[in-house]
Amino acid sequence: MDLFGSILSVAFFAQVLRLFTPYYLGASAANFSERSGVVNIAIEGFMISAAFSFALFSIVFGNPFAGMFFALIIGILLSLLFALFTIKLKVNQIIAGVGFNLLMAGASKFLIVLIFKSSSNTSRFESFYQIPLLKDIPVIGNISGDYIILFSFALVFIGNHILFKTRFGLRLRSAGENPAAGESLGVNVRLYKLYGVLICGFLASLGGIWLASNQNTYSDGMIAGRGFIAIAAMIIGKWKPVNIFFACIMFAFFEALEILLQVSMPDFPTQIIQMLPYFITILVLIGFIGKTKPPAADGISY
Amino acid sequence: MKAVEFKNITKTFGNFRANDDISFSIEKNSIHCILGENGAGKSTLMKVLFGSYKKDSGEIYVNENPVNFKSPLDAIKSGIGMLYQHFMLIEDFTILENVILGSEITAKTGINYTESKRRLNSLIDKYKLDLNLDDKVSDISIGAAQKTELLKLLYRDSEILIFDEPTAVLSPIEVENFFKIIRNFKEDGKTIILITHKLNEVKEIADEVSVLRKGKLVYSVKRENLDIKELGKQIIGDLELSIVISDDNLQAPEAKAEFEEIDVLLSLQNITLTENGLTKLFNINLDLHKGEILGVCGVEGNGQSELIELISGLNKNYTGLYSKNVRKISLVPDDRLKKGMIKEFSIGENLLMRLPGKNVFSKRLLKEKEQEVIAEYDVRVPEVGDIMENLSGGNQQKAIVAREIKLNCDVIIFSQPTRGVDIKASSFIHQKIYNEKMNGKGILLVSADLDELLALSDRLAVLFKGKIVKIFAGDEFLSGKQNSKELIGKIGQLMIGMEL
Ligand SMILES: Nc1ncnc2c1ncn2[C@@H]1O[C@H](COP(=O)(O)OP(=O)(O)OP(=O)(O)O)[C@@H](O)[C@H]1O
Ligand SMILES: [Mg+2]
Repeated sequence: MDLFGSILSVAFFAQVLRLFTPYYLGASAANFSERSGVVNIAIEGFMISAAFSFALFSIVFGNPFAGMFFALIIGILLSLLFALFTIKLKVNQIIAGVGFNLLMAGASKFLIVLIFKSSSNTSRFESFYQIPLLKDIPVIGNISGDYIILFSFALVFIGNHILFKTRFGLRLRSAGENPAAGESLGVNVRLYKLYGVLICGFLASLGGIWLASNQNTYSDGMIAGRGFIAIAAMIIGKWKPVNIFFACIMFAFFEALEILLQVSMPDFPTQIIQMLPYFITILVLIGFIGKTKPPAADGISY
Repeated sequence: MKAVEFKNITKTFGNFRANDDISFSIEKNSIHCILGENGAGKSTLMKVLFGSYKKDSGEIYVNENPVNFKSPLDAIKSGIGMLYQHFMLIEDFTILENVILGSEITAKTGINYTESKRRLNSLIDKYKLDLNLDDKVSDISIGAAQKTELLKLLYRDSEILIFDEPTAVLSPIEVENFFKIIRNFKEDGKTIILITHKLNEVKEIADEVSVLRKGKLVYSVKRENLDIKELGKQIIGDLELSIVISDDNLQAPEAKAEFEEIDVLLSLQNITLTENGLTKLFNINLDLHKGEILGVCGVEGNGQSELIELISGLNKNYTGLYSKNVRKISLVPDDRLKKGMIKEFSIGENLLMRLPGKNVFSKRLLKEKEQEVIAEYDVRVPEVGDIMENLSGGNQQKAIVAREIKLNCDVIIFSQPTRGVDIKASSFIHQKIYNEKMNGKGILLVSADLDELLALSDRLAVLFKGKIVKIFAGDEFLSGKQNSKELIGKIGQLMIGMEL
């Protein structure tokens, strides 16, 4: 099989766009939180908990939309808890994040065994109904018919508009840049931090939901570090929705390439490809691809 | 009518009484100055009025109605605006974003930028603020940052304006402009509360004055009975000292007219510095000698900060020859909060951080060093070991000056050393600078305060658009100092680019 032919094919391109979805949702989640000044490294944890609870409730209710509804509610409740720790009680944000990551990973493992009597999977559940008409477009049907994928594309523009063109975004960013200045002008800084954390929980959960829905099951370890890669994408994207889009496309491209190589050239050491995105991340972090500067008050309790 | 009335206001931080049972009132449509030493409680009282600090007890009336502001938002809604002692600007935002934050004009889909710009530009034109709304605050000068703060108040149409040491950062010409703006405000019926350490400004503009000392109101006087000497005495609370200090012109110590080639410590020859295509310094020729105070003046943003960065070694992208005969140079930077200290550290920690040969130190040494500074420089701290952020502005400055002098380098750069410092501490810092000169140090004194420059400098270089347009030296300078009014006039003209 001709490797370059496959890379240039529409199917490969479609695959990139699909893999892009969880990265972009996770990276946008992290970005909204950090723009409000709260570092949330628990994106991975939020994705795990949403993927698992989505699977659980989809099975319980026999309906993935019900599953999604409850998974999002749980995601938002958990982010309220995260906000309680980080904004109200001013616990160190990194420590809280590590705690949440460990908690979600552990809890999902435990519950799988408890509820599904399996060490690795939930049972299977039904897929989302795809969007009529759009799902019938040839080749890209499973992209254009997917609510969450479409939403994640729209999010590039919505996110950019909200952050940079609206009152809400301006105030949210002021909380992340210089909360004292915002407060001196009457901005309720902590409230905006709360919004940032809640939006983060919502978007990260959606990313987790998509991953589980894609497999029609939740299996332990399926998030596979995407929550952390999403944070890297946010940094490479310099906390800007449009740049983050390109960073996520890059990560998705390498992941798709890896899958392709595993199939077409089984002897090729795919670890090299796996390594590439991280290598690029490091290059970015040490300043090869322009300077990256987080919001000035990122990670500082206020 | 009373615009503001304080009744028995008390505010404590721990056991420390920053405001102690303060009562007085501020007439509507007047300019009311509040004076007092560093740490007297001026900023605290204003923050209490503005709702950013919660008072322990007492009552506040605004326009004769009792108020109880829970946050600045409440105060803003009641028509109060405050310009903080330290800028409250978001570096990463544009001027426009900084100004509209919290009071945005919105359309259906988001912020209405066209309308916001239209409104702001008309204010900018009306008050001649000369700002470009799309500039990022991280790129603008201190003068422009100040104007951005003013624009924030104008935009919110505040009726009662609190200015906490607004002139500390401005050059004399900018101060004049600022006062013009303030007088316009008064003509528009607004009430102005002005905190300052400069008594000549008070004389010029105040309708009424209140003096705080150690958290208490100690003196109030109306314009008719204003007497600068008396004010000085009330501020310091010590008659003898005040006579020494409030002497209208600072005592001018002997200035040296001649320097030897052999005493050159630093030498700049044909130095040019370009940044992003803009020439920041052009063909600078300057020597600094042992035992010399070389003054540098200019309107903010005419190359002073670049000159300092270059000399202190922070910027190496120049052309020309820069040679130095000293190993280390110490620097008291202009922006103390950002460049001068780690504000989450105590005085002692900030000191030891810079002091050579103290890699390992005990708590005791830390405390000892801190107490040394506190005692020697009369730094007022709420508590020994408290973090720098909790010190009043002037006290932070004293601590930094103390640290840099203690480093004992052969060259010391002072940039705005007495910015925000009270009259007593100013004269103290001046004395210290003078002592260092007598110890044979070379001192570069960059300041916006011409009185300070004239009193201390042996030579004075005037910067305009990155060029040294004149160096006052020798007999011309010394005799000029006798008639300082005329000399200041000349310098002022040079600073804005007028040829003599
Ligand atoms: N947040 C705080 N925590 C503890 N102490 C504080 C705090 N804010 C101010 N103080 C203390 O209260 C006193 C009064 O401070 P304030 O800032 O009101 O002084 P000031 O009169 O404005 O002085 P300056 O002229 O130097 O600005 C100072 O001794 C200061 O150290
Ligand atoms: Mg103050």
